[in-house]
Amino acid sequence: MLMTHVLDLQFGDRIVTLMAALVLVLQIAMVTQRWIVLHIRIFAAQSFFLAMIAATIAWYNHAPHLYVAAGLTLMVKVVLVPILFERLVKRMEIDEEIEPIVNVPLSVVIAGGLTLVGYVVAESFYKPGEPGLGHNALAVAISLFLIGFFTMINRRKALTQVLALLSLENGLFLAAISLTYGMPLIVELGIFFDVLVAAMVLGILVYRIRETFESVDVSRLRRLRG
Amino acid sequence: MENAAQLFLLLALAPLVTGVIRTLKARLQTRRGPGILQPYCDLGKLFRKGMVVPETSSWIFAATPWVVFFSTVLAGLMIPMVAAEAPLGLFGGVLAVIYLLGLGRFFLALSGMDSGSSFGGLGSSREMTISALAEPAMMLAIFTVAIGAGSTGLTEIAGAAIGQHWRFLAPAQMFAFAALALVLIAETGRIPVDNPATHLELTMIHEAMILEYSGPYLALLEWAASIKQLVLMTLLINCFWPFGLQPTWFGFAALEGIGWLLAKLLLLSCAIVVLETVNAKMRLFRVPELLAVAFTLGSLALVSTFLF
Repeated sequence: MLMTHVLDLQFGDRIVTLMAALVLVLQIAMVTQRWIVLHIRIFAAQSFFLAMIAATIAWYNHAPHLYVAAGLTLMVKVVLVPILFERLVKRMEIDEEIEPIVNVPLSVVIAGGLTLVGYVVAESFYKPGEPGLGHNALAVAISLFLIGFFTMINRRKALTQVLALLSLENGLFLAAISLTYGMPLIVELGIFFDVLVAAMVLGILVYRIRETFESVDVSRLRRLRG
Repeated sequence: MENAAQLFLLLALAPLVTGVIRTLKARLQTRRGPGILQPYCDLGKLFRKGMVVPETSSWIFAATPWVVFFSTVLAGLMIPMVAAEAPLGLFGGVLAVIYLLGLGRFFLALSGMDSGSSFGGLGSSREMTISALAEPAMMLAIFTVAIGAGSTGLTEIAGAAIGQHWRFLAPAQMFAFAALALVLIAETGRIPVDNPATHLELTMIHEAMILEYSGPYLALLEWAASIKQLVLMTLLINCFWPFGLQPTWFGFAALEGIGWLLAKLLLLSCAIVVLETVNAKMRLFRVPELLAVAFTLGSLALVSTFLF
């Protein structure tokens, strides 16, 4: 009974769809979140589910190099980046409350609307009757991408903008694994290295912004105009 | 026969659910807490007492407990509890259930203002704000389930759910479940939204509306509140986890169905207790954020039934 489930492609598709839905819910939860530390942890949880999706797709499509991608996601986005950011929050002693520009109820509704856009766009990529794994995930990926953009616009503090950028990158990763069942390993490795470096560089940048302006509020950067 | 059985189950089980939630919550917070039968004793005590009616009140004050109680019981008879077939299922579907509960709430809000105390008016205004925000989310979640079954009749919805045990793993079902669970918390006045155990002026919502009631009227309102909680919990568990729901009331099947119902209610109560213990009550102005999440989840659920 269990074995047939484990080998059944349709069951795999369901699992991937379910986890993609969870990833989407976590993305919306990030939009509502007011505390930076919780925001970081939700991001870690989202990345964890993303790694699980990658592993599931790897299992059903016999694509072993995706396991490497899943493992790297687990290592970089679930462990390293959250730890790095939480230490940054502690070290900078920044105000831990996020102040979004658009108020929370409205941003949640906007995020819902962006999800609809994601679904409508993904609909045109979907061929009925084509057997495949996680084509539903494409809609979720596009939604993650759009909501990530929106969150970046909606936040004032540099650190939360970086987090939004990383969740946007999660959307890209999801699109890549659900459409092509993974890019070549070397590309994946490059991307992960990029993410790690970006997170570190941006972390340092955030720190420098604070040193110079006594705040991580990016709207103060206008002063640079001179 | 089934009607009588479900009526009995509703009236008898509702205070028990309240009692179990209170006791479990006390135990989780390492207090001893009252026994699980305490709500029955409270009701008995209140029914034996005399009552005080404010001088300024009109007929609404006297009519409200009856309207609230009977509309809630009527709504309870329209939902499938033990069998997919609801006793009064022919009289209306899920929309009737929701708006019967709405009728009760409307009268409760009226009586809060009718008593002339400023707390009553405050409670009514808060209650209506929250319910106006919760209702769209609830409708969207319910419509998601109704589309799956092809009918808004609860008998059909529950009937379609029987046997499809893994259906709740579908994203649309999960979104709808989450939306309805958030609405359940708001509607039953549970902790992130309202605190059922408080009489602190600044925070109470439901308690503020019924502040002027005493004696048998208060007993009716308290009873109605616990029945409403049972109705919403049953609606949630039977639409989304139809395990053990019987096709009809018949002999042993009914007993088995009651057993499953109790088990599922206990599980949901445990979830509520944990949620209430780990969360602090929200500021009133944060409640719209919670309900906006419920609304978004509900609309995602509805949309994803068409797209997946």
